[in-house]
Amino acid sequence: MAMTKSQRQLNFSIFRYLVLTFWLFIVAFPIFWMVGTSFKPDIEWFAWPPVYITENGTLQNYLVVWADASEYSESVHTQSLQRPWEALGNSTLISLISTTLAVLFGSVLAYGVSRYQILSEGRMFQLLMLRMVPPIVLIAPISIWYRALDLLDSVPGLVMLYFITTLPYAVWMSKSFIDEVPREMEQAAEILGASKWQTIWEVVLPLVRSGLVATFLFILILTWSEYLMALLLSKTNVVTLPIELSKYQGSTEGRVYGRQAALSVGITLPLILVGIIIRKHLVRGFSFGMVRR
Amino acid sequence: MSQIELKNLRKEFGSLVAVNNLNLTIEDGEFIVFVGPSGCGKTTTLRMIAGFEDPTSGDITIDGKVVNELEPRDRDLGMVFQSHALFPHKNVADNIAFGLRMKKVKQDEQARKVKEVSELVRITHLLGKMPGQCSGGESQRIALARTLVTEPSNFLLDEPLSSLDAKLRRELRAECDRLHDELQKTFIYVTHDQEEAMTLADRIVVMNQGKIVQMGSPLEIYGDPVSYFVADFFGNPAMNLVEGEFVSGDSGLQFKSPQFTIPLPSKYSQKQPGKGTLGIRPENVTIGATDAAASINREVELVEPLGKDTLLYFETGAERPFVAVIEGTQSVERHANVDVGFPDDAIFLFDETGARIR
Ligand SMILES: Nc1ncnc2c1ncn2[C@@H]1O[C@H](COP(=O)(O)OP(=O)(O)OP(=O)(O)O)[C@@H](O)[C@H]1O
Ligand SMILES: [Mg+2]
Repeated sequence: MAMTKSQRQLNFSIFRYLVLTFWLFIVAFPIFWMVGTSFKPDIEWFAWPPVYITENGTLQNYLVVWADASEYSESVHTQSLQRPWEALGNSTLISLISTTLAVLFGSVLAYGVSRYQILSEGRMFQLLMLRMVPPIVLIAPISIWYRALDLLDSVPGLVMLYFITTLPYAVWMSKSFIDEVPREMEQAAEILGASKWQTIWEVVLPLVRSGLVATFLFILILTWSEYLMALLLSKTNVVTLPIELSKYQGSTEGRVYGRQAALSVGITLPLILVGIIIRKHLVRGFSFGMVRR
Repeated sequence: MSQIELKNLRKEFGSLVAVNNLNLTIEDGEFIVFVGPSGCGKTTTLRMIAGFEDPTSGDITIDGKVVNELEPRDRDLGMVFQSHALFPHKNVADNIAFGLRMKKVKQDEQARKVKEVSELVRITHLLGKMPGQCSGGESQRIALARTLVTEPSNFLLDEPLSSLDAKLRRELRAECDRLHDELQKTFIYVTHDQEEAMTLADRIVVMNQGKIVQMGSPLEIYGDPVSYFVADFFGNPAMNLVEGEFVSGDSGLQFKSPQFTIPLPSKYSQKQPGKGTLGIRPENVTIGATDAAASINREVELVEPLGKDTLLYFETGAERPFVAVIEGTQSVERHANVDVGFPDDAIFLFDETGARIR
């Protein structure tokens, strides 16, 4: 017997909720566990059966990590190497500068590609393909040059590294937004008397702003959480948050999961904060349909 | 005064010749309409005049000055795009004021002009809205206002009404006409709607495959088409075109199609026999008692009363049915046999290449 239309709709919405629930579970569970663990006392980190919601909530992990309250710590591990605030500062500085540079240069390049065909679509793709080379294999040449240029283990070194490695993404992503702005819109401005700069400032930029903000956040996340290259090109002088995170495993007592979780929450919060501040742009930017015609 | 001249204007895209050595002089204040089938190079020509496309060769002059090297904004032109191209992030008033702002017109002057022009195209009630909240016809007027307000000497309009429904299109067409009368500026208007061309133009330029096929007043184009192509393009319902052969008969040249043979007017008696097409406009076909030299007896396949007129359809072996328009709602029955007459001066002949035989 054929299903009626309303039955089909019901089945579909059941299916949809199943898929969404499953997806939500996969995405949200690790985050839930991270936040949960950050409030658990030591004994509950590994407990079996697992403690889903702790009844002995404590801020100790946060205090140890962020306030250096080692006197409250029951576990014995060296604090001297851990500098979370410094790492936070470094990460903020490096990510913001390199992401800003990447989006700035990337969007200008993208405008050229989109409007003046300075690169064909094929070339564009090749450009992005270059980025598919695993970063780690480039470490040797980069290390050699960084040593020669005295950029190893320095803020400018990492800024430049991230700028270069994220630039193709910035070009690619912002190009997709610029392509959305009809050429006729620009030409209309031009024939009404606007100069090239006025056209870009008055017409193009307002229309791609949301897209550029989305691009910015995307690259910020990439940079903010980059670990591998930071591990190899810096370490002692300039520590970023992902590197800092890796330090929270003592050699004697194993991984200190609660501390790590507390630091992780600290790493995640700024991104969420940025996301909230720019959420108006994100919805429009990530939906790619910001030009109404 | 502002005269636009196109001299041997040519545009190639790779191996494709979009505009093929166009020569045209557009007089000050003229309403000129480019018509032609899709892809014949109308938009490309307009964009070259505007300066968005560089000619491959040839010159564009405005008032005798070659403007090939001039930026679009320095050409004293206004353009209304087919897509309207309103700025979606600015409200209607700001859209209209944009050109004035770019030309550094004073604030109070801007406001005055925006008000004036929006009264002219009747959109004062829309000024506070965003373009996204306006209908197609409203957007069209806004686009027009945005261009009008900068008071260019020449207007370029690229199929400005193509996206509208029939009624709105007629309304705005009338509005374009009124504006042209009022402003006395040059209008260059692109369309592939023959009716729009007929009603608006001082002069029609018919294009095909990058070339000008014919230009002239609407009546010239309609009454004296130079080719099969032009004859077929103008008129609604379209001209009846029957393929066949010109053969010599007892009393001069005759037209012979698979289904009928008629004698041709004596002025054609000296023409060469051969394959060709006979054309006659539906409104020139006579039905019933006729003094036309040539007539055929045919069964009416279909009667279509339109109120003021009635369309009669016949089968003559052509691709399209043969149509006759008769006035009023005369009582011609379906399946009745009637005499279909071809008055001498209503007959058009075209040779095998489509060129007119005169
Ligand atoms: N930028 C371009 N690159 C390559 N070919 C083009 C370009 N612009 C137009 N053409 C080609 O040039 C020819 C003329 O195009 P054009 O847009 O002038 O036609 P049109 O008469 O305006 O047609 P329509 O009535 O469909 O708008 C077409 O064959 C088109 O494919
Ligand atoms: Mg066109």
